[in-house]
Amino acid sequence: MTDNRLKSHLADLPFDRRTLMLGTTAGLTAVAAGGLTMLSSRPAMASPQINKPAPDFTAVDSNGKTQRLAELRGKIVALEWTNHDCPYVRKHYNAGNMQALQRQAADAGVVWLSVISSPPGEQGNVTPQKANELTQSRKASPAAILLDPKGQMGRAYDARTTPQMFLINAEGILVYMGGIDSIPSTRADDLEKATPYFRDALAAVTKGEPVKNAVTRPYGCAVKYTTS
Amino acid sequence: MPTAILRVTSDYYRFHMAPIRLIGALLQHLDGTDARMSGVFERKSWRHPALWMSTFVALCAGASVASAQESAPVTSPRVTATLISDAASVAPGQTFRVGLRQRLAPHWHTYWKNSGDAGAPPEIRLNLPKGATAGEIIWPGPDRIPAGPIMSYGYENEIVFPIRVTVPSDAAPGQTLSVSADAEWLVCEKECIPEQGSFTLDIPISSASAPAGDDIGAAFAIADARKPLPGPWSAKLASEGDALALTVEGADLTQAAVKSAYFYPASWGIADHAAPQQLSLTDGTLTLALTKGQTFNPEAKAEGLLAITDGGGVTRWFEISPSISGAPAGGGAASSSLIESLPLWQTALFAFIGGLILNLMPCVFPVLAIKATAIARLSGGELREVRLAGAYYTLGVVVAFTALAAALLAVRAGGTAVGWGFQFQSPLFVAGMSWLLLAIGLNLSGVYEIGLGVTGTGQGLTQKSGHAGSFFTGLLAVVLATPCTAPFMGVAVGTALSASVLVCLLIFLAMGLGLAAPYALLTLFPALARALPRPGPWMLRLRQAMAFPMYASAAWLVWVLSQQLGDFGVLVALSGALLVALAAWIYGTAQHGTGRGLIPRGLAAAAIAGTFGLLLQLDSAATPGIAARTQASAASANYEPFTTARLAELRKEGKPVFVNMTAAWCITCLVNERTTLSTEAVQEAFRAAGITYLKGDWTNRNPEIGAYLRSFNRDGLPFYAFYPAGGREPAVLPPVLTEAIVVGEIERAGRSAQTSPQPIK
Repeated sequence: MTDNRLKSHLADLPFDRRTLMLGTTAGLTAVAAGGLTMLSSRPAMASPQINKPAPDFTAVDSNGKTQRLAELRGKIVALEWTNHDCPYVRKHYNAGNMQALQRQAADAGVVWLSVISSPPGEQGNVTPQKANELTQSRKASPAAILLDPKGQMGRAYDARTTPQMFLINAEGILVYMGGIDSIPSTRADDLEKATPYFRDALAAVTKGEPVKNAVTRPYGCAVKYTTS
Repeated sequence: MPTAILRVTSDYYRFHMAPIRLIGALLQHLDGTDARMSGVFERKSWRHPALWMSTFVALCAGASVASAQESAPVTSPRVTATLISDAASVAPGQTFRVGLRQRLAPHWHTYWKNSGDAGAPPEIRLNLPKGATAGEIIWPGPDRIPAGPIMSYGYENEIVFPIRVTVPSDAAPGQTLSVSADAEWLVCEKECIPEQGSFTLDIPISSASAPAGDDIGAAFAIADARKPLPGPWSAKLASEGDALALTVEGADLTQAAVKSAYFYPASWGIADHAAPQQLSLTDGTLTLALTKGQTFNPEAKAEGLLAITDGGGVTRWFEISPSISGAPAGGGAASSSLIESLPLWQTALFAFIGGLILNLMPCVFPVLAIKATAIARLSGGELREVRLAGAYYTLGVVVAFTALAAALLAVRAGGTAVGWGFQFQSPLFVAGMSWLLLAIGLNLSGVYEIGLGVTGTGQGLTQKSGHAGSFFTGLLAVVLATPCTAPFMGVAVGTALSASVLVCLLIFLAMGLGLAAPYALLTLFPALARALPRPGPWMLRLRQAMAFPMYASAAWLVWVLSQQLGDFGVLVALSGALLVALAAWIYGTAQHGTGRGLIPRGLAAAAIAGTFGLLLQLDSAATPGIAARTQASAASANYEPFTTARLAELRKEGKPVFVNMTAAWCITCLVNERTTLSTEAVQEAFRAAGITYLKGDWTNRNPEIGAYLRSFNRDGLPFYAFYPAGGREPAVLPPVLTEAIVVGEIERAGRSAQTSPQPIK
């Protein structure tokens, strides 16, 4: 008896289940779309958050190849903001400190990306050829040098100094951001005295351990963002 | 006679100059024996003969004579640096000052002890004779030096970094006190150059000291004008989410005394240096809205300098050491930290009660319609089925709540400040929703059916689809109900979003269960369900009647869109509505006809595709200034548009203010305005008490209103606050207003002002 009654009153449903399903799906999609619209209009200088997904980026490297963070999922990624004429950057390259870190990273399978956010006409801006020459002459070994003359990637990461370092784990989570070490100077002899924040973070991440000092003060020259 | 020598290098090195003080030193460099230069120059390059020829320029600065008061200068095209003394001669045991003096080329700057985002402060190492002692650098108050999105703190033109030195008490008059200094500093315009220099001063020791000459005195006066003064006020720093509010209280902090203010944190990581600092000022209370720095630690001290520029344009720097409190104190707002202090289960309980009350809110109206028909469906159903339907509905509500919370958290994580009910701030959502409601309404009216095949399928499937229907009814209930969640959940939602993910989920779970509870209870107690009438023709009539709440809601959303996008929004919304109706009609016709009706179905699909095209139009339509609209209508109305500045101004004048935060999509707000705030009784009470009525419109996103709400720990609308006369603390009114509540609040404030006559604290 219930069978027929159930059938008959289901037939009398005020509106159909598929209407509801389609409707609510559309509604929720609209919510998501609204959220995305807002995301796309977020402020230019949104800070990345530690232990949160790192901002995605798409940038062309010095060999003309497009690098995307999303495509590097599964690998640890190190980001180094650089400007080869900045005295702070020169301290780390002239003393071989940066190259040693790059080798340490490469040995551990970490993808090291040097990022140049200087626009044409500003200190640090280089042609792709010059970028590769610098790598050779300085015996550096980044996996790639990303050219970001419009500063989009720099602003997405809120990079303010050169050098400034970021580490992203294999799951795409930002696990370190800040300085390369603890002494903000241009003196090479401070390298030994400084606490090597970035080297420690690199070692921890490659071992799968938590990073002790995950946010430190970046020090150096201001990133020369384009004003146009 | 000491001579300053400059080296100028070409090419890259043209910016990299290092001062050398003596010819002898230069000769050492030629040998490549001076290791000190290696940090700046690659020695290899110096061996290049061509470089040699072009890069060395020797310049005799013969005019610079070392005296007892000023050392020989170290000069570059950017900086002329000397060591100076404020005493021409010193007495045994006396304390005097020496200082590193830097005269900077235009646009070049050196740095404060916290250099901001980039750069580094100068370092000075004094070498003193035995028995003499020196203090630390007395850092002059800095200026802000912005470069694009990067903020530095430092000095331009001329600056002196003073250090106190105490002469040994056994120093012998007639001899000299030899003070030498090794200094390093970074000087930047856009590019940065590290420089260094060594300086020596030989100061005569005599039985009576003599001050330095006018030129040196003037140089120290630059540092003195910037010397930080002890801040005689109580200061506290409150944090919430990414925001910091620095509140400084002192009777002398008046509108006249403070034209602008800025907080320089003493170290990196406390506050974001580049973020703007919004000043609000009422007599006696200064508040700066800051953005939290990357390593802000609520446990640690947050010392710094508060720079205050007065009406005459003179800036002074005050040392402050704010105590850190958890509760926000933005804009002198009352903090509702009630929830924060509650144990978790109580928070969850309140969220549950809030969800329960939601069932009575006006904007859940269309959902009530859906539920009414759903309850009708229950009558006569099998108990197990009925209960399962209740369970699925509850599940739908909870899932939707969690999904919305997650979306909100994700958007927040992206750095956008949004409030609860934020989806209604998107015109796309509003338009889509109005069309969806129209489509549901047309279905209820019987224009078309989608599920004609349902009765023919097996019972197992119908049951399953019935449950899916219950589930999606739950989802829809939440999506539509969120603007109404704000009144009772404003605090809870605000807390939840700043709390840990677990607490956040718990709160939303409780809220969802609350919303679903009445219907779930009905299904749990069969006695109630059995009391409902038996199925019959009344169900068809009910179904048709329920179409009208749907049409009403769709009409309301079109009006919301008109507030957001103006005439254009209405045009697009109505065109879309037309297409939706057309599609429904064609589709319905096909269902009643014979054959497969491929052509009508195709036409209907094309019409629906057209609505999506319209959505794109909406997306690209620029939002006309809602502020302009508000302004225009405000001129003829009895309220003023809300701005933080206007509120601060009125409070400073000691005038009472009533703040109403509203939005076109907030039905409760509109009901309150219609039934309470616009009534003659309330308006008369406003006039009698001289209250200024400020109205903020949050129909579109507005960071100022968002920040104001967050200062009260709120995240949604409606919101009402009454600021009594005399700048006293505001009272937050309940979200559902009656004339008695508003008038009572005004009278209560009037009485307490009489009993405690202390208008300005």
